[in-house]
Formats: sequence, structure tokens, C-alpha cells
Amino acid sequence: MLARLIVSFAYFLESSKRYKRVKTAIYNLLENPRSKIKPYFDIFIIFLVLLTVSILIYDIEHHLPYHFEVMENIAVSVFIFEWIGRFWISANLRLRIIKYHERKLELEEKPKLSTILKIIFQQKLQYIFSPMSIIDLLAILPTYRPLRILRIFLIFRLFKIFRYTKSLNSFFKVIKDKKFELNFLLLLGLFAVFMSSTIMYVFEGGGENPKIHSFLDTIYWSVITITTVGYGDITPVTLTGKVITVFLVGGGFLILVLSTSVVTNALSEKMSVVREGKVLSQIGKMTNLIVIFGFGRMGQILAAQLKKGHKKFIVVDISDENLEKAKEFDYLYMHADASSYDTVNNIVFKNDVKKVVLTTNNDALNLSILLSIKAKTDKIGIIARANSYENIKKFHIAKADHVIFPYQTVAEVAVEYIGNSVKFDAIDNILVQKESITIDEIDILKGSDYIGKTIAQIGLDKLGVTIIAVLKQNGKEKFVFNPHHQEYRFQEDDSIVLIGEEKDIFKIKDEVARQLL
Amino acid sequence: MRKIVLFGYSKTGREIAKLLLNDEYEVTIIDENPLLVALANEEGFFARHTSFKDDKILIEVGIGNGAEVLFCVSDNDSLNLFVTLSARNIDKNLKILTKILKKEDEKKMILAGANRTISPYDVGAAKAYRIIQKPKVSKVLNQLSALKNKISISEIEIPKGSAWDGVYLNDIDIKQDINLIFLGMLDKDLGEKFIFFAKGINHKLDAGDIIVVLGSKKDIGLLEEKLWK
Repeated sequence: MLARLIVSFAYFLESSKRYKRVKTAIYNLLENPRSKIKPYFDIFIIFLVLLTVSILIYDIEHHLPYHFEVMENIAVSVFIFEWIGRFWISANLRLRIIKYHERKLELEEKPKLSTILKIIFQQKLQYIFSPMSIIDLLAILPTYRPLRILRIFLIFRLFKIFRYTKSLNSFFKVIKDKKFELNFLLLLGLFAVFMSSTIMYVFEGGGENPKIHSFLDTIYWSVITITTVGYGDITPVTLTGKVITVFLVGGGFLILVLSTSVVTNALSEKMSVVREGKVLSQIGKMTNLIVIFGFGRMGQILAAQLKKGHKKFIVVDISDENLEKAKEFDYLYMHADASSYDTVNNIVFKNDVKKVVLTTNNDALNLSILLSIKAKTDKIGIIARANSYENIKKFHIAKADHVIFPYQTVAEVAVEYIGNSVKFDAIDNILVQKESITIDEIDILKGSDYIGKTIAQIGLDKLGVTIIAVLKQNGKEKFVFNPHHQEYRFQEDDSIVLIGEEKDIFKIKDEVARQLL
Repeated sequence: MRKIVLFGYSKTGREIAKLLLNDEYEVTIIDENPLLVALANEEGFFARHTSFKDDKILIEVGIGNGAEVLFCVSDNDSLNLFVTLSARNIDKNLKILTKILKKEDEKKMILAGANRTISPYDVGAAKAYRIIQKPKVSKVLNQLSALKNKISISEIEIPKGSAWDGVYLNDIDIKQDINLIFLGMLDKDLGEKFIFFAKGINHKLDAGDIIVVLGSKKDIGLLEEKLWK
């Protein structure tokens, strides 16, 4: 009975839009690394933590005024809200229960209350006893009066800050990765301390050394010595003690040096991973991203142009030599093997990507990336470079939106050089844009003054630009070549394709944009 | 037949050779890679192997001896430079077009004697950029190159004593009567440089100047007729 109630409640929640909306909002606030609001909330929590800890410190020597207590209470309420929120979104119980119920339905069995409760408690308890949750709880609990004695645990609130600093998290991950080495060194250190303190106690603990009263004293001495701190409050007096000290200092120095090198090594190894995580979170916040696979010569030239056009893009390559250049120009880049699905998934599918450009000099690789993207979605436009004439067809079969075979285009331009070479210069300039002359497009949107007027009426022919064609309906229909200056009247959604000085075209674009205001 | 020499049966070289495969041109391919020479011969071109110990082979294939244009398009940058330099040394009037890998190399090649340079990566990148940033421009350019027979870029030399000899550009208003787009011109008085009309300078046309127009063959024929009226 109770089991059925829980199951139907799960279904009710699943169908409730409002429930989902609230849960998503909380998720965006607390956990979603992509949400815009989370960073502000994080900063707010860090501020609260610092504030309450300062109050704690102030409290030691001063008497707290009333409004400080209010502030403390507000802070704790926020912490409680935060913990409950995280507790709530920690697992999707309703989905699990529904899944369990469906499985039982297939088997034509009744859902068991015990299993449902197990699902609920297992998931939620797992969250409660996770390290981050414990830190959060320790920050809240001491405020409860009967537990006041635990006030010192308020300092645990400082740990809460760790939650918000990604770099610290990755630091701990690094330490975790080197667990074996560090454990070994720790064991070695403990062994050395135990050994030396025992020998010291045997030889000097029997009254030879007036400073040593117990075994604890020799352990204290050993730790102070092995860490090379050496206060000097307890010093060996016998010859044996001095010999032991020499070995202890030597060994301690070695252990310290080794552990330092282990940690530094691990950190430098992980630097690229840390950097990549940062790049991924950076591109996660971008919209209309362009991804360039391959940072060879073509990729580099394209990136430079995109940078000039203020487009957002990321470069993916596996060669360090190529990526050095990306680093030099301060582009976003990723050192990754583009043939692996994970790379494509992390960079393309998880972000708001508009266009993908494949510029590697390996057709097999270009095709493999193309197919992994096209297999999943058709919304991303893909421009692929073909490296051999025979492969162009394969790119078309794989549904590339555009295929560029640079060698053919270049050859077509090159043969024009045989004649008077004037034509060559004209085409070369239009295609590569060597001078300030450029070919560009201007869209005429609804509300523009140009609509219904001819080129002569607007005066475009006097502006020193050459109009090549007009595309109708945003380019859906065939274009009008060389529109008549006195007869052709512009319509809504026309696009003008024209050649002219960059500054002249910019002027026209500026005017068109101003008309719409 | 016009003699053309093609150094380097690279991907670019192969495409150029394919485009020049007709009765109008006599193309000789030279390459230092015997495998590429074999491939070129296999694909029906006349190709010779060379190691560039001396300039003998260049003279043999016609440099300084009737060859009009030399394309240096091998994948080896320094060899391109070397062949450009050697050929220029033999023939001062030869037209040399050299492939470069990056823009910074352009000056070097021109110093070595190339008339023009071209870079497949520049062209490819510019094309990719146009598709992203100016989709309509790339659509128009694509269709213009697809309709090759209908609309194309052509050059017209102004004949002596024709209607346009000695006329200022702004005074000509026949532009609208013919469906042609006037892109630019080469003014013999101003040297070898191509000038776009879009730069907005009022030029005086003289006999021998070359105008570049975009339009159909029929309209170009009409223009040529008009020049004599």
C-alpha cells in the first residue's frame, strides 16, 4: 500500500512541470557549472563564511552586539538552505523509483516497499556521508545550542570555501593520484621516528638526559628533528644519541625532499588536465562557437581571420608544435586526439557549437570526425578540407555541408596567370583579399529605408562600391546578377553582395544598421 | 601551342596540369621526386626527372627557349625558391608563379624573381572563413564558378582608336546598357598593378589598358562591338 503510494507520488512528481522547474532552478544555483548565476552564489557563500569566522574571532575578546547574532543566524539559515538544496538534487529518486516500478511491471510483480526504501536511503545516505556534505554539516551543527561546545568546529566553515575553488579540488586530486608514493614516504617517516625515538629513549630516557621524562618526549624530539625544525629544547647528551641524531637529520631531509618532488612532479603532470578543464568550462559558457580541428597552416590562417572578425572559436590539435602557435596568439586550444569519440563529445556535443571546420591534412581523420558529428546531429554546419581529389566525393557522401579542396581552387586561379595576368590579380584579390578591397554582403532587413528604392535612388553607385549581385529571400532563391541601377528595387530580406574598400562597406553597413534603430 | 613548364607534381601541380590538358598548351612537368614523375607519366602527362645539379634541364624543357610561364608548385619550399631563382637567371621575361606556404614567404619569393605567389592554405582558409562569415558571398562565388560557361571573369584590351581610347572612366555611361560588371583595370601608365574600380579613382583609359569585366560571353561580345562605334 505504502509502496504504491510512493510510486504514484513519484509519477506525480515526474508529471509536474513546476516541480521540475524549481528543481532545475536549484540545480542551476548550486551545482550547474554552466549556469550564469552560480558564480555569484558561490561568491556570496564564501563571503558569508569569511564573515561568520571573523565574528567568531572577534567574539573571543569582545562581547557580541545583538545584530552580529542576527547576521550569524541569517548566515546559518543560508547554509541550511544550501545543504537541503544539495541534498534534494543529489539524486533523482523519482526516476529510479519509476524505473524500478516499470521493471517490476514487466515481470508482473508488485513493487516491494523494502526495495523502494532501500533505493531512497542508499542514495540519500550516500550523499549525507560524502566528505563535502560532512563539511557542510559541521559548519551548521555547532550553532545548535546543546552542541555549543563544538563551537570550535565553526572553523570547519572555512573548508566550505574548498567547494568553490576548482584549483584546490584539482590539487587534492593530484595528491590522491600519488597516494602510493606519498603513503610509502609517510610510512618511512613513521618508521624513522619510531626507531629513533625508541633508541633515544633506551639510551637517554633512564636519567642520562634531564630533559627526557617519558617516551612521548623522545617522540616529540624525533619529530622536531626529522622535520629539520630543530627547536633545540631537547638535545642528545650521549654519543649514541648524537649518532642517531645525525642519521635522523639526514634521513628526514631525504624524506622531505622526496615528498616535495613527488608533489611537484604530480602537479606539473596534471597541469595540462587542469588547464583543459578550465578551457572546457570557458567554452561551455560560449554561444555560437566555431571548432577548428587541425591547426596546420590552413587552420592557423583561418584562426587569424576569425580572430580579426571577433568570432569565438577553439582549436583542437594533437601536435604540440602546432599548439605552441595557438598559445603564442592566445587562442583557446585543446590538446586532444580528434579521432576519439570523447574529444568530439566533450568539445562539440556538450557545447553550443555552430560550425565545425576540419582542416587536418589527413582525410581519414577528417572523415571520421565528420561522421561522428553527423551521426548524432545535423544542426552543426561542417566545413571539411579534402586533401586528395579522389576523396571529395566521400566527403559529400558523408554529408559535409561544404567541402574545400584548396589545391584545385589554387590551380584554377594559377592557370589564369597564363594570359595577361590581370584576371589573375582580380581573382586572387577577391579570393584571398590581399589588399583593403574586400567582397562582402549586406542584409536588408524589415524596416530598412532601402526597401522599394533603386540603387541609383539610394546613391549606392556613387559610393565607389561595385555591386555584384542581389540574393532574394535570404539566399533561398536564385540571385539577381548585376542588378540594374535604375530599375531594380530592393525588397525585404534581400542581401547585397558587393566589392569595395573595407571602410566604404563598413560605412554602408553602419548606415543600414542605424536605419533599423 | 604555348609552352608551359610546371615544376612539382604536387597536389597543386596535379590540378594545374589537369586544367591545362588541352590542345592550346604544351605542358612539361619536372620534379625531383622520381615517384611523382612516374605518377605524372602514368596519368598521361609528359614529365621528366631532375636533380638540379645544373640549369641544363631547365633550358632543355624550354626556359629561355620559348616557355611562357613557369609554375613552381612543388611541396619543397627551398626547391621552389631555387628553381625560381635559376629560371629568372636564364630568362628575364619569363612569367613565374611560385607556391608559398605562408604569407611571410611572399617577399622572399618575389626577391628571388617570382612575378606572383600563391598559397593553397591562404585560399582554403579564406574560403572556409567566407562560408562561416559571409555565406551569401560564398554562395554567389560558388555559382559564378559553377556557371563557368555563362558568367565569367574576362579581360578586354582597349584597342587603339576605339570609342574608349582617351576617355575618363566616370564619363562612360554605357555600363548600364550591357549586363556586365566592371571590376577593375590595369593601367599601362601606372605599371603592373591591378586597380579595382571600387577604389573610386577616376582613371583615364588609354589604348593598351586592360579592363576586367564579369559577365556572359554574349555581353562581352556586345561590349567589344560598342568599342568600335
